Amino acid sequence: MANKTASKTAGTNKSFIDRMGGQKFIVLIIVIAMFIFFSAMSPQFRKYTTVVSILDYSYYIALMAIGVTFPLLTAGVDLSIGTGLICYSLIGGYLIVHQGWPVAAGMLVTVLLGVAFGVINGCLVALMDLPAFLATLCTCMITRGFGAMVVGGYGIPWPTAAAPGGWFRSIFKIQIGGQNIPIGFLWIILLVIVMSFVLNHTKMGRYTRAIGSNKEATKLSGVNVKFYHVMAYVICGLFAGLAAIAYSAIFATVQPGSGAGFELDAIGGAIVGGTSMTGAVGSITGTLIGVFVICLLKTGLPFIGLTANWQQIITGFVLIAAVLFDILKRKREAGK
Amino acid sequence: MKKKVLAVLLGGCMVAGLLAGCGGGNNGGGSDSSADSSSDGASSGGGDYHFEVVVKSFQSTYWQAAIQGIDAAVEELGVTVNTTGPNAESDIADQVNMLNNAISQNPDGIALAANDQSAVLDSLQDALDAEIPVVCFDTGVPEAPEGSVIATIATDNESAGAVAAENMYEVIKDYIANATEPVRIGEVNQDATSANISGRGMGFINKMKELVEADGKTVAVIGNQYYVDQVENNGDEASADVIIEVAVPAQTTVELSATEASNIMNKEDTIAIFGSNQVTAEGVLTANQNLSVLAATPEEGIVGVGFDAGATLKAAVADGTLIGAVTQAPVDQGNLAIHALYDYCEGETVEDIATDSYWYDAENMEEADIAPNLYD
Repeated sequence: MANKTASKTAGTNKSFIDRMGGQKFIVLIIVIAMFIFFSAMSPQFRKYTTVVSILDYSYYIALMAIGVTFPLLTAGVDLSIGTGLICYSLIGGYLIVHQGWPVAAGMLVTVLLGVAFGVINGCLVALMDLPAFLATLCTCMITRGFGAMVVGGYGIPWPTAAAPGGWFRSIFKIQIGGQNIPIGFLWIILLVIVMSFVLNHTKMGRYTRAIGSNKEATKLSGVNVKFYHVMAYVICGLFAGLAAIAYSAIFATVQPGSGAGFELDAIGGAIVGGTSMTGAVGSITGTLIGVFVICLLKTGLPFIGLTANWQQIITGFVLIAAVLFDILKRKREAGK
Repeated sequence: MKKKVLAVLLGGCMVAGLLAGCGGGNNGGGSDSSADSSSDGASSGGGDYHFEVVVKSFQSTYWQAAIQGIDAAVEELGVTVNTTGPNAESDIADQVNMLNNAISQNPDGIALAANDQSAVLDSLQDALDAEIPVVCFDTGVPEAPEGSVIATIATDNESAGAVAAENMYEVIKDYIANATEPVRIGEVNQDATSANISGRGMGFINKMKELVEADGKTVAVIGNQYYVDQVENNGDEASADVIIEVAVPAQTTVELSATEASNIMNKEDTIAIFGSNQVTAEGVLTANQNLSVLAATPEEGIVGVGFDAGATLKAAVADGTLIGAVTQAPVDQGNLAIHALYDYCEGETVEDIATDSYWYDAENMEEADIAPNLYD
């Protein structure tokens, strides 16, 4: 059904790197190398608290990235997850802080809003045939305006850890003997395992790749392409909703109007982790590893004394390198 | 053919996207703050003036506080006011559009908090041509066409930064006097571009340097080049008794501000840190969630000072995580801006006003002249 997946399994004399997972493996080594490099360069970076901080700030990006891997695999994209995240978090927080809703109910609304916008994105792209770039750019604008409108422009401080209703903050971090334990990472690993299973061992996952590889052929082979195409965006929306919970749990105040640019960290992470912008190729584990490249760059570069402009330049080069690697690999495979 | 149409459509949308920034979906929700207060007979003089107000954004609660002041002035004077503003302070083009719309309404006056001091110059010329008086509040427009801006009502940011430095120095001066090793004071500034932030950043640095040097110690300012370059007679890092380290995040997010803050707060010799606006002050607090180093005195840990307000910052000041913070007077600014326009329309002379900034801590937060400016 999919020539790309076929060629992947066809090669018998695979190199060591390919057997270890290809780009994923290289990126994992890069993550470890970066960690060692930053640790060697900066004594502050070596501290346990820094590791906790890196994990703290990685959750929402990781969740968005897991979700956005699905639209990317269909050769689409979802640009609305960043502003969406803020929108859902604002509205959920508004219900909790200003309307007196229980925290759990506010969290549920937050996640459901993500799913709802996922459905909207999916319908626009899969049923109405809008280009994904365009459809999700529009929902990006809509979510940004909508969130700010509902809360009337006020920043929303979700309850603090010590306040009543602050229990949700301990989903991602608990204190044992005065030490912060970043248990959120366990949830992320768990979700990566679940979504890897979905992607590799269920119809949902196989058809997602098939749509990205050759939509027409998939349709002709009797698959309900429209349904699975919509579902790819719904999964993405669901994870944007979960990311909104993670963001609210880590940071103090959610500011309306922010969030634009978050999606680029997530998409960048997925691409560094080996997901192809042209669809079909990619994995959830790769995405997670890729996200840590982005997060380590964001956290590590300030620690070795590189200022704002350098951080952006270096991140840009890393993305170019990742995309080039993908292109070279496909050229090599095509040449075989 | 279909493909061509699609291509054109896509191209158009990309341009639109570029112009709007992802989602500059303009209009932060125009809040018509006057509606019914126009004809309640409260007007004392010539009455019935209509003013247009363009704020920097509806993004932060800071502006909501300013709008409170505007609403109060509307009540007091019996004028009508329409308030607009873009979604974010970075949506410069949106704000210029809103200003142009305001001018075309031909109001009796405009109150403007400009996001970009050069982008509004043409519009101000138009306002001058249409004989509409403009009052700038929060941020001045130094190069405005002669006669277009009748008054500027803004915080003196240099002195606001100095207020933070003075109050911080009170707490750390004994420690510095007795220190045998060099000590470090951190400052996190949201950017190195806006006049407000760099004004208060430099205000803090210069005041701190002055205070430390007056007590016979030497100071070196290091970190972000923009700030370091503006320091006069900067000392040498290797020999200085006090190092002031200035950090600027790559983007204005809490997370990146927190990363910059934790970098400084992780250093053994750091005794104090200042976050010069709401986002960076929250960054300091976010970093502290994992580090737990903020304390009331340098002997116990790192002394934290914030800027502006918001529920999170207020809670941190109330429970002593931060020793205090500096707040501006957004309520006054909004109020005075409308009063200035009114007075001008009544034929009185109006002048520039530098509004105060207040130091607040757990002790004085509830006091009558402080509390109204501590927005959530």
